Amino acid sequence: MKSRLLTVALGILTAIGGFLDAGDLVTNAVVGSRFGLSLAWVVLVGVVGICVFAHMSGKVAAVSGRATFEVIRERLGPTTAGLNLAASLAVTVLTLVAEVGGIALALQLASSVDHRLWVPVAALAVWLVLWRVKFNLMENVTGLLGLTLVGFAVAVFLLGPDWGDLAAQLVPQVPVQESAAVYWYFAVALFGAAMTPYEVFFFSSGGVEDGWTVKDLASSRLNVMVGFPLGGLLSVSIAACAAIVLLPAGIQVDSMSQLTLPIAEAGGTLLVAVVIVGLVAATFGAALETALSTGYTLSQYLGWSWGKFRRPARAPRFHLAMILALVVAVGVLMTNVDPIAVTEYSVVFSAVALPLTYLPILVVANDPEYMGEHVNGRFMNVLGTVYLFILVVAALAAIPLMIVTEAGG
Amino acid sequence: MRRTRTGPRDVSREPEPRQPGRVLDARLHLLDRQVLDVDGMPVCTLDDLELEAVDGRSAVDERIDGSVPVVITDLLTGPVLGTRVFGGRPPASRWHRLPWAHVVDIGTAVRLSVRSGDLDATWLERWTRDHIIGRIPGGNHDPESSG
Amino acid sequence: MIASDLLDVPVHDEAGAHLGWVVDLRFVLDGAPDTFLARARLHALVVSPRTRTSFMGFERSSVRHPWPVAPILRWWHRGTFLVHWPDVARVPDPDAGAGPEDTAAIVLRAEFTAYEPGL
Repeated sequence: MKSRLLTVALGILTAIGGFLDAGDLVTNAVVGSRFGLSLAWVVLVGVVGICVFAHMSGKVAAVSGRATFEVIRERLGPTTAGLNLAASLAVTVLTLVAEVGGIALALQLASSVDHRLWVPVAALAVWLVLWRVKFNLMENVTGLLGLTLVGFAVAVFLLGPDWGDLAAQLVPQVPVQESAAVYWYFAVALFGAAMTPYEVFFFSSGGVEDGWTVKDLASSRLNVMVGFPLGGLLSVSIAACAAIVLLPAGIQVDSMSQLTLPIAEAGGTLLVAVVIVGLVAATFGAALETALSTGYTLSQYLGWSWGKFRRPARAPRFHLAMILALVVAVGVLMTNVDPIAVTEYSVVFSAVALPLTYLPILVVANDPEYMGEHVNGRFMNVLGTVYLFILVVAALAAIPLMIVTEAGG
Repeated sequence: MRRTRTGPRDVSREPEPRQPGRVLDARLHLLDRQVLDVDGMPVCTLDDLELEAVDGRSAVDERIDGSVPVVITDLLTGPVLGTRVFGGRPPASRWHRLPWAHVVDIGTAVRLSVRSGDLDATWLERWTRDHIIGRIPGGNHDPESSG
Repeated sequence: MIASDLLDVPVHDEAGAHLGWVVDLRFVLDGAPDTFLARARLHALVVSPRTRTSFMGFERSSVRHPWPVAPILRWWHRGTFLVHWPDVARVPDPDAGAGPEDTAAIVLRAEFTAYEPGL
């Protein structure tokens, strides 16, 4: 019998890819070191939003067997869905570039060998898992190892902050040294990261990989209710560590290695070691999630055979798409661009992809031909509609904010 | 959009009589749905439909209009997708046809009675398998649950 | 003829007045039984007077959720009607390319009847 913990591995891995990928890890620390916890409310808003839509996408997958991008193509038609495909692939591949680069940087920290030499090794390791490892083993191992990021939450307690002071920071307000535009730029970036579209592609396709049927609706709900709040909590913990240690010291975060500074202060080398395992697992998990999402979206749009539950020869174009995505990632990293900086531009593509992804999910979750008796209730519809509205506003605001603030600089 | 100043004229509508068989709307129920083979393997997405007159007249030779009954003869996939996105029309020789006679069921996916591997529409899938994926070690094995 | 030769094409009445665009094709499975399903007969064109985009089909279904997406789309497609296939007098030649507006339109017979589009 599967243990309770393993049944929620899909939700945890999905949330890691959304909240704790290499770009978000740094963004969270940047936010904490500059804004304290005054943006934590955005993470809460984002967690609720991704829970609503991941729940719907998982429900559609379990009841009808159709994964999210099949639904997008069917409801939006080839042109609009094709636009969404292009934007979503851009977001996903940019994130994959950052993750492969992130793994290489972590290996550099451990070995002091230049990270560019580690890039092909990292990509090969990701590919080997995609090629040979069963889906449930993959989600269980990366999900469980990623949980060691709980070290950030532990560190918050070990640092023994002034809790009243920390709680006072939770009030949404623009710090005196920052401009309102920069504050809102980071708010939109955090919200977009929480609701990034590849999470629902991965979650719904993962439900199909795990063979979900109507009987697994409770399991889908449990995955959502555990995974995303946990991802959000860890993301706020990272910001809190930075707010306690780096903000008063005036240290500006610009790389992944600075993430461990508060950890070292709180728990010494042991906790740093635990957290580094978590950072590598989260980055690796996010690399797997984004590489798979590339294959899922392309295959589902074009009707190809897909899935890790099939041997590669039974889903050849799906595997070829993932290989090409990894080759592109290695190629981009070889040009020596900053992989983390690259993800900032995914905001532009998210602005297109987010509404075009979540609208069809909301519509199909109300369609009795797909859902039978499991159509959305009123509560889910109200939440879904409110979030769709917020998404459109955030999408419209994202690009001007990015230009005005020079990506938060 | 072509529109007069007073807005479009709403024609008066009569109730539609009940039809003697299942009613399907092309965009709502057929186009862009996933096509699955007899084993549940994805084959393609339903990209377009080929329509012909019941008496065998084809659109190429003679103009079809409302005077002759028209039925779906084939589901189409492949390069016809480009025409739906960008317009234009690929030559009929490049359409991949899946005969209507092979359709078993139409639901959230369209199910066929034949095997994916026997269809022209999946030649690229086979080519990729035979020339790339199948040649990489492990490509023909099930994924491992340990190691 | 393929489905996209008819979809999105303007619809005119016999006098040349613009009535709308074909947003969908309605088939009825009442033909001779083929191997598994009856043959799908082209029964009618779904014509929308206001927009050439068919979006989600709320004007034809009884689904009212999610609010307000469904009601807005249903309102946008108000006045949508069915024209039975025998009422179609002329279909543009798919190989002719983009010609003048009047030849690139579907023309209905003088005595055509508009029906309610509900499914």
